[in-house]
Amino acid sequence: MTRPLDGTTILEIDGPNTPLCIRLATSMAAKIAADLGARVLKLEPPGGDEVRAAPPLLPADGSSALFQFLNTSKRAIALPADRRSALDALLGGRIDAALYEEGDSDAAALLAARNIARVEIAGWPESMPRPHAPLSGFTVLALGGLLDMVGDAEREPLRLGGHQGSYPGGLAAFTALMAQLAAKGVPPARVSLVEALLWVNWKAASGAHADGKAPTRDGARSEFQVVPCADGHVALVYGVTQFDAVAALVGDARLNDPRFATRPERRRLIGDIYAVMRPWCATRTRAEIYAAAQGRGIPFGTVVTPFELLGDPQMIDRGFIVDMAGLKMPRLPVLWNGSGFAPSPLLEERAP
Amino acid sequence: MKPLAGIRVLDFGLLTAGANTSAMLGDLGAEVVKIESGAYMDPFRAVGQRDTSPGWWNRSPPFHFTNRNKRGVALNLKHAEGRRLILELAKGCDVVVENFRRGVLERFGLDYAALKAANPRIVLASISSQGDTGPNRLHASYGSTLDATGGMAALTGYADDGLPRISGMDVNYPDQVVSLLAAGLVIAAVMNARRTGRGALLDISQREIASFMIGEEIVAAAADPARRTPSRQGNAQDGVALQRCLRCADGRWLAITLQDEKDEVAWATVIDDVSIDQWAASQDAEAAARVLNDAGIAAAVVKNGMDLIRDRALAGDTLAWLPDGGLVKGMPYRFAGMPLVIERRAPDLGEHTGETLRELLGLDDQALARLAELGVTSAEPERI
Repeated sequence: MTRPLDGTTILEIDGPNTPLCIRLATSMAAKIAADLGARVLKLEPPGGDEVRAAPPLLPADGSSALFQFLNTSKRAIALPADRRSALDALLGGRIDAALYEEGDSDAAALLAARNIARVEIAGWPESMPRPHAPLSGFTVLALGGLLDMVGDAEREPLRLGGHQGSYPGGLAAFTALMAQLAAKGVPPARVSLVEALLWVNWKAASGAHADGKAPTRDGARSEFQVVPCADGHVALVYGVTQFDAVAALVGDARLNDPRFATRPERRRLIGDIYAVMRPWCATRTRAEIYAAAQGRGIPFGTVVTPFELLGDPQMIDRGFIVDMAGLKMPRLPVLWNGSGFAPSPLLEERAP
Repeated sequence: MKPLAGIRVLDFGLLTAGANTSAMLGDLGAEVVKIESGAYMDPFRAVGQRDTSPGWWNRSPPFHFTNRNKRGVALNLKHAEGRRLILELAKGCDVVVENFRRGVLERFGLDYAALKAANPRIVLASISSQGDTGPNRLHASYGSTLDATGGMAALTGYADDGLPRISGMDVNYPDQVVSLLAAGLVIAAVMNARRTGRGALLDISQREIASFMIGEEIVAAAADPARRTPSRQGNAQDGVALQRCLRCADGRWLAITLQDEKDEVAWATVIDDVSIDQWAASQDAEAAARVLNDAGIAAAVVKNGMDLIRDRALAGDTLAWLPDGGLVKGMPYRFAGMPLVIERRAPDLGEHTGETLRELLGLDDQALARLAELGVTSAEPERI
């Protein structure tokens, strides 16, 4: 199958001293382009990409699952000690666009000199007074306000699993990269991880602006809660107009109490509502709860593990997880005219 | 030059995932025409309802956040004339974005086959909970459903209570990340359509995106039996020496990451010989963050929504303030010398119906009057 970015050449320039959280975003953006058919040259600094040793590690050979996931369909070139000259030589070829990282002054200067379409991946907003302070994926979540939104009010704020401080920045960098390729003369773009997170977390700003009070994590006082069931957990998520449908699903007369007639009252009495919902969930399996809820159009979600996704009928039917040289690998989350893009393993090449 | 100048988008996008994909294309220079109708308006107009007086459907803050820089057209798809006009509009568009329930476009005779027959270069971005195919294609979800069914909730939670956590209704994380990717995919498809003359159907599953965001965990769980049952470890992280939040003297939380031994040594120098929690309890959070940053340690105050609207340096380009004090969504990136300009506030329902149909389809007053008479262009909500 032809791919939409066939014939496009993109450089992923990994800087020599880039924080891990920024590298994950750079590699994510380049990976998406590579899986879509672009020829992506991943230029690793002398000593290699630090992500090669980052967890989770695979039991067979100790290699990094994270590195494998983020570097599909690329060609890797380890730059020699004289990195600047090697970069300069590579930039003399036909390059459509480049991704590079904040703090990599060699890449910044060489790309600007040749006026190559480019996206810089950075940590902080440029407008911050200390835009170069140390940063981690976790502190990105703190600055973006997302940490404040997850967990219990009385307890420490909680991070989302995985690398969510980095990946939104990676997706934004991919879209900025496509914008670079869409027309001639598009000005260079800059993505900061913190801004990408803030943008994702816009409801916190919208809520604060509308109400003069920030929405925040409210754990057991939230309308949406995760509760135990017979074989795991289920997330009780439903629309603001669906409470009657939920009451009908559960079939317990206590939920028909006039005290629960309005949403503000339901929010105030949420503990009483969950006191009815919990026992109902406790005696049923995830599959039973999910099927009964979907039957009424109620979007409860069963908590599934990454391993369980491998056997999920919907994921299997759509071929979401593919075999890549012996590794199970999620493909890009899109079917293009009905077909998925199968990723291929990273090719290791010698420096030119 | 704006990257998407000359590109026209027909926007059936609703709530965040769809409407925001079109908004991002608009910010990059595309012309976005949002199609709603009195018979079916964007549910964000009701979700964010602030009052009940007439026109309330034009005042929802989340609707305004997500739909600036669009024109608003009312065309009732339940009416044959409405459907015919959509196909006419599609002839002059490059992109259609939709996130209806599955089956709605087919029912209206506006599926990809019909759009492609009208315009072979059209790119249809179909965004749905589970994708356009498969046994669960009709299943409903909200963002936080997908925290659970996409695999992220299983990896999120405190270490001690065994309870998975979701991002919740004020975040709906899986909804928010969709447009960051979908906009880029649409641009790739538009470039390809320009080269080849052929458009594409992009079948985008929000659940797959949610799972893609923990892709490495899927790779690891498949290869390593020890990772089949994930443990939730609070804010700790594999490969990181210490990571948690500390409560500071001013009551605020400070997030810190000590990546390795080097950080631990730097940390020990800062806090001297008191415990971590004692040290934090003696500091204000912002001051503590500065001290730790100066020592080379990643530390940041846990910001909340009020911080985001007060600290404009922090918000960067992600929020846009309107002259009247209104606040709408900005951009997740910046292009040098090309600041985001909010040329239009979010449209009232059907605000630009007449001007748009005149301009794009050449309709005259008589034709518009007939459409109004038939109820095709009605902009009064029929149901709430």
